[in-house]
Amino acid sequence: MKPQVAFFDFTSCEGCQLNKLNFENDLLDILKHVDIVEFREAMDDKADHYDIAFIEGSITSPSCVERIHDIRRRCDVLVALGSCAVNGGVNAMKNLHPIDEVRETVYGDDKYLFATLPAMAVSSVVKVDYEVRGCPMTQQDFLKLLIALVLGKQPPKYGSPVCVECKLKENECLYNRGMVCLGPITRGGCDAVCPSFGQFCTGCRGLLDNPNIDGMLEVMTSHGISLDEAKKRMLLYNSNEVQL
Amino acid sequence: MECFSLLRSDVPALIDHLGDFGEVLAPHGKGDVSYSFEAVQDSSDVVLDYNRTLLPLKKMFLPPVEKLMGFSLKNKSYEQVDVTIAPRVFFGVHSYEMQSILRLDHSMLSGSVESNYFKRRQSSRFVGISFEPDEFHFSESVGIVIEEMEGFDLFLNEIDGDFQLYVLTDNGQGMLNGFDKINLTEPEIVEERHFKKKIRYHFNRLPRVFQYAYHSEVWADVASRCVGCGACTLTCPTCFCFDVQDEVEVTAEDGMRQRSWDSCMLSTFAEVAGGENFREKTINRTRHRLFRKFKYITDEEGLPWCVGCGRCTAFCPAGISMPDIVNELIQEDEKAQYHRPVRV
Repeated sequence: MKPQVAFFDFTSCEGCQLNKLNFENDLLDILKHVDIVEFREAMDDKADHYDIAFIEGSITSPSCVERIHDIRRRCDVLVALGSCAVNGGVNAMKNLHPIDEVRETVYGDDKYLFATLPAMAVSSVVKVDYEVRGCPMTQQDFLKLLIALVLGKQPPKYGSPVCVECKLKENECLYNRGMVCLGPITRGGCDAVCPSFGQFCTGCRGLLDNPNIDGMLEVMTSHGISLDEAKKRMLLYNSNEVQL
Repeated sequence: MECFSLLRSDVPALIDHLGDFGEVLAPHGKGDVSYSFEAVQDSSDVVLDYNRTLLPLKKMFLPPVEKLMGFSLKNKSYEQVDVTIAPRVFFGVHSYEMQSILRLDHSMLSGSVESNYFKRRQSSRFVGISFEPDEFHFSESVGIVIEEMEGFDLFLNEIDGDFQLYVLTDNGQGMLNGFDKINLTEPEIVEERHFKKKIRYHFNRLPRVFQYAYHSEVWADVASRCVGCGACTLTCPTCFCFDVQDEVEVTAEDGMRQRSWDSCMLSTFAEVAGGENFREKTINRTRHRLFRKFKYITDEEGLPWCVGCGRCTAFCPAGISMPDIVNELIQEDEKAQYHRPVRV
């Protein structure tokens, strides 16, 4: 029997999920390997058990916690999809402010009606087996993981920075073009898509293991931006990963 | 050795002429301020005055990403990629770049021959060119002068804006047959070219400095600034480490094995099964990089494995300078040896 897979969304823009419906050329090939049994954006059906559950979005409320526990109990393999699910992503910027202040800004006088938690990675709440990084996750990355899981192989892990892929493509370094780029400490695997098209890396795939944060701040400030601005850039996608 | 004079305005004609002997690859402008070796489409696009290309010439012999074989899971079969040998002419190569190819030859062809490299290396011809050292070049300190002609078939030495063309091999002689825009002349020596960056010691003294440098305090200082991007090693003309990976297509039937350049400056480089990492800290990795250039291979071959192109320094986002590190090690060594400064 083909593996039963399901997709779930938590706090996110749902862009990663939508991205999958854009596979078009590969969609039929994917359906040869797996049965999609639950996918709110594409179908009505529900299932009790999943071989692989794909989770998008961060955990930001008590009801999210309940739901993710329930999904974890009913699935064999759980995969976090996209920046929000992997490390909290952009949502985690709210964690930089006191939670009461955040509630008041968003809900005003009704703030007591909406329970909220700091934006958390899925792995802060339940065990995550694999992850697909990026904002949004790329199709290519997702397909590599899916095929590896279908074949019973270990999915690829990316431990080297964006700079590596940039160098292999012989791109001119954006620092030489007067830009400030987070490529040196950002986890690669994206084929350096942004720098290749002249956009500096914003760090959407999360930071490397043990990044040299002080060194990176020094690099950024020595290329003409203020320390404050440098920290903000670093925190954009990685508020849960660094303490500045 | 014959020497001819060649007008700068006639160089495109020479490049066109060389096209008869194979695909011509030469430096072209890339991006805002960079250069890259590319196949020549229009000989007037070739840049003669460039500081250094983003990637070294090794990319032509050991491609950054290379498919080694294709396989089919369905048929349980595989097919190796056949590298075809095609004559190529590399035009406008600097002396340090040529030396890096000769060092790569040693790394890839001694012992078990790396067959893909060997095939690409065959029937390649090199036309050198002199250059004006910028603030990063330091090849003189590792024994390579601007006019070093070893390995070249032809060499263009710039004299007052025009060129002197040296014929160094029979191949070089052959390539000039039928080219009439050159005139026999006497070789001139250019003396006013100076390297702005220098290592304070002659390179044959460096192995001894490195012998005692393993526990130096310099490494911690470098590691505190290094962000671990790997740019230094990926752009290094004598680095050759690679990683091999298998990829399966979305059909789950066919796939390929490919290799891509790897870098010992990346934290994953020395990681093995079980999560053990032999060079876990940046300090271990940065030391290893320098030792690979000035100690390990140098002890065996008697030559520094750095050619002084300055790429690692020019392309480092943190501005870490290879010659500065070596000079700091020298300074530290002097302190330990003599407790007083030594005149060199």
